[in-house]
Amino acid sequence: MTATDPNIVIDARNVTLRLGQGEAAVDILRGVDLCVRAGESVAILGPSGSGKSSLMALLAGLERASSGSVFVAGQDFARLNEDRLARARRGRIGIVLQAFHLIPTMTALENVAVPLELAGVADAFGRARAELVAVGLGHRLTHYPAQLSGGEQQRVALARATAPQPILLFADEPTGNLDAATGSAIVELMFAQVRAGAATLVLITHDAGLAALCGRIIEMKDGKIVRDTLSGADR
Amino acid sequence: MLALRFALRELRGGLSGLRLLAVCLILGVAALAAVGSLSSAITTGLVDRGQLILGGDVEARLTQRVATVPERAAFAAQGEVSEVLRLRAMTGKAGASDRTLAELKAVDHAYPLYGRFALSGGAALAPGSAAIAPALAERFALKRGDSITLGNRAFRVAGSIAEEPDRAGEGFGFGPAVIINLDDLPATGLIEPGSLFRSHYRIKLAAGHTPAAAQAALGSAFPDAGWQLQDRSNGAPGTRQFIERLGQFLTLVGLTALVVAGVGVGNGVASYLDAKSATIATLKSLGADSALIFASNLLQIALVALGAVAIGVSLGAAVPWLVVQFAGSTLPVPPALGIYPQPLLTSAAYGLLIALAFALWPLAQATAMPAARLFRDSVEVRTRPGIGILLLVVGAIGIIVALAVLQSRDRLFAGGFVAAAVLLLALLAGLAAAIRAVAARLPHPKSPLTRLALANLHRPGALTRQLVVALGLGLTLFATLSVIETNLNGQISRSLPARAPSFFILDIPTDGIDVFRDVLARTAPGAALRTVPSLRGPVTAVNGVTVASMKNIPDDAWILKGDRGLSYAADLPADNKLAAGTWWPKDYAGPPLISLDEKAAQALGLKVGDTLTVSVLGVDITAKIANLRAIDWGTMGFNFAILFAPGTLENAPHTWMATVAVTPVQERGVSAAVTQAFPTASLVRVRDVLGQVGDLLTQMSAAIRAAASVTVAAGIAVLIGALAASRRARIYDAVLLKVLGATRGQIMRATLIEYGLLAGVVAGLALGLGTLAGWFTVTQVLKLDWAPSWPPVVATVLVGAAVTILLGLAGSWAALSARPNQVLRTL
Repeated sequence: MTATDPNIVIDARNVTLRLGQGEAAVDILRGVDLCVRAGESVAILGPSGSGKSSLMALLAGLERASSGSVFVAGQDFARLNEDRLARARRGRIGIVLQAFHLIPTMTALENVAVPLELAGVADAFGRARAELVAVGLGHRLTHYPAQLSGGEQQRVALARATAPQPILLFADEPTGNLDAATGSAIVELMFAQVRAGAATLVLITHDAGLAALCGRIIEMKDGKIVRDTLSGADR
Repeated sequence: MLALRFALRELRGGLSGLRLLAVCLILGVAALAAVGSLSSAITTGLVDRGQLILGGDVEARLTQRVATVPERAAFAAQGEVSEVLRLRAMTGKAGASDRTLAELKAVDHAYPLYGRFALSGGAALAPGSAAIAPALAERFALKRGDSITLGNRAFRVAGSIAEEPDRAGEGFGFGPAVIINLDDLPATGLIEPGSLFRSHYRIKLAAGHTPAAAQAALGSAFPDAGWQLQDRSNGAPGTRQFIERLGQFLTLVGLTALVVAGVGVGNGVASYLDAKSATIATLKSLGADSALIFASNLLQIALVALGAVAIGVSLGAAVPWLVVQFAGSTLPVPPALGIYPQPLLTSAAYGLLIALAFALWPLAQATAMPAARLFRDSVEVRTRPGIGILLLVVGAIGIIVALAVLQSRDRLFAGGFVAAAVLLLALLAGLAAAIRAVAARLPHPKSPLTRLALANLHRPGALTRQLVVALGLGLTLFATLSVIETNLNGQISRSLPARAPSFFILDIPTDGIDVFRDVLARTAPGAALRTVPSLRGPVTAVNGVTVASMKNIPDDAWILKGDRGLSYAADLPADNKLAAGTWWPKDYAGPPLISLDEKAAQALGLKVGDTLTVSVLGVDITAKIANLRAIDWGTMGFNFAILFAPGTLENAPHTWMATVAVTPVQERGVSAAVTQAFPTASLVRVRDVLGQVGDLLTQMSAAIRAAASVTVAAGIAVLIGALAASRRARIYDAVLLKVLGATRGQIMRATLIEYGLLAGVVAGLALGLGTLAGWFTVTQVLKLDWAPSWPPVVATVLVGAAVTILLGLAGSWAALSARPNQVLRTL
């Protein structure tokens, strides 16, 4: 396995992340090694403060490692500046966050169209509409985030993440802000979207039940990977 | 295009975030546009009415003499000529002893060459009659047909002056106007050899003659005439210069408003982008790069700024109409109402450049924010904006400074003003940094609330810098204005020295001076009386070089401009001090010698032994400078920049002037006795003149206050904006403290300590800086005495500081009143 192997979408080696300076410095990640093959579904499980969200931020190019190497889809993230990281995400990496993070001044349709427009997709709005219909929000196209329920907002966020058909989808506690029934509906939808697009999924959760839906489970504690097992789940 | 699409989508969410930016820009741009439009409208009014104001296309003005026959022929060769003589005279109802000083104008039959001279009721100015100003009619209850005296003669009142086209060009008058026929003037006895009068020869140029050619022809035909030539393009040079200078000063005040507004723009943009940080991070996580985010946000700011500038320019352009509506009578000429693109474009350019200069920095910082903000709120932006942004900011500021300096007549003053503004901003920013540093290093107080108050001054994200800059600019401006105002208000009472005279009496005939002294001794025994001989004449050459041939006359070489008062004396005047050279012997009888004002000599680089040539009644007298005098011009006595030694002027026809100091009770008696004994003498009541000067100062003060009030309004907007920006953090703190058991009183006290500390330090600095700025304006710009009244100045600053604290507490009240659970759910 090498960084140039087309089957490897994530190759992180001896990654550390230290935040703050001097006496206030905190080591968030302490030497993480992780390799993910294309098409895998990986759950990163662990208690609060174990570093799982920070690891996802590093892998999605939202954070920069203090040391070690991070190759994602063949690109060395350590060598890219903020803007090149942004361009590296365009159309290739989708992200769903616990707090939805929809743009409040844009309608559901516009929110979903943004990554398509950024990627230069000609029929951005047509595709966005189709994605929203696919997540069951065909009737909510012109609604603003404030006019949608939590479950609906997360469905918009999911549609926005999957609309460009990314090769890699990150989901950080996607059901954390939702009730159990709405949460399971979102999870089902997410797995269906990932299957349809043949994307690699990295799911961050502290819910062992949710993690079990993935083919591989990585457990973290104190900034380190403490266990890496195959669950045998067929997503 | 994508950036514009995103910008328009974001703006659809409302402009509330950019409201502060809009308000600040509207205020600043409107102030500048208003000052520029009004000043242009008045100067255009002066130019448009140049022929009316001057009374002709070209005017030759002579002092104490009328034109000679060859000179009259030369005027007539250029076109139609009108002759007008102007002088001061005492007037009053015939038969009554009450008299007042009037500005008398004797006009010929050709008057006016331009415009219309009309009396109320349509009467004509028949021989032996006088047209009077409404103020005079009111003062003596005069009506048509009544008689008034002028010198030795009585005149029938023909009516009140309704239209007098050349009035605006005549400038500051000491009394109401009276107009008579020129043919009637000799009979008044007011024109005697040595009397103070001016003769004006206005020419309506014949077809094919240009003002420049006419002036050149007259100048070359009579090089030694000693007249002043003017043309219609500058009919009232003094008024025009005053309006232009005041306009420029107010422009600089307006520019201060815009700089204050700029601080508001910076704060507004920063808090707007701060509120949008999640959106920016989200867009970055979706693949938007910095350039796109920068362009999209810059477009939003630019669109709002353009709208605000357009509103500001429109408001400013409307101000001349409003001024004419509500204060038209205070203007020297009716302004030529219209849209003046140049001042409007300049103010728009200032507004956009200020917006750019102050918005770019926070915009670049927000753009540089990493996408990791999605995970951690406290991610601090470590990257400083790049060199490109820095160059753009410096470039925008450079253009603003260049515009301000290049557009000003007095570039040194404008440059100094801009430098002072930049220095003030730097000082305030430095003070804010010092407050933060000191607050961080102070030992931690035991009380948690005091600790919180101190921490609020230096914690990450604290708005100390914004608050200190906004509050500092506002309070410094309050202090400056207060210093200027108390100076202007007190100017009149303080400029009246303890032994100021009650009257100036002019045009006392030389052969009557002894009788005059007797009259005074009889009517007001013990009155302080000082008499001096008086002549007038222009300086025509300096060390043999004619003034007419001098290319660059320094601004402060005022003794070369127009006529000067001349006198002679055997002794050094009591109020003067000898600064160089020696005083002449009492019985000096040699070649002409003069004593010169020390400052006038400095302006021209003259020293003892140099020569000046003065034209006295058409005769050039070249005199050697025997000595220099230091003159205190503030004594309100007679002071002459040029004083001759005995033996030169005694035989020239001249009159005497006197100052008389009497008790207020004696004033009426002295006035009656002098005007009766000397009907051709003019009596100026010092109290009346000071009243007129006071009116002028009040008008200036009102103009300054109006322009500055916009700056204060911008300062308040900035302050409110800065307080609003910190409101979220304050509500969060207050709610947490309440959850932990703090009472509202305790939290209020903590806020009071915080703002009290801040306002106290800033008020001290503002008082010092405001005093300095006020001193500079009063002594260097307005050229007035420095004598502020401190209690109102200190009170103004303290009230300003107190209002700030109240605003701060009011801002915290929402935090105190909030129910913790409600806030915790939404924050």
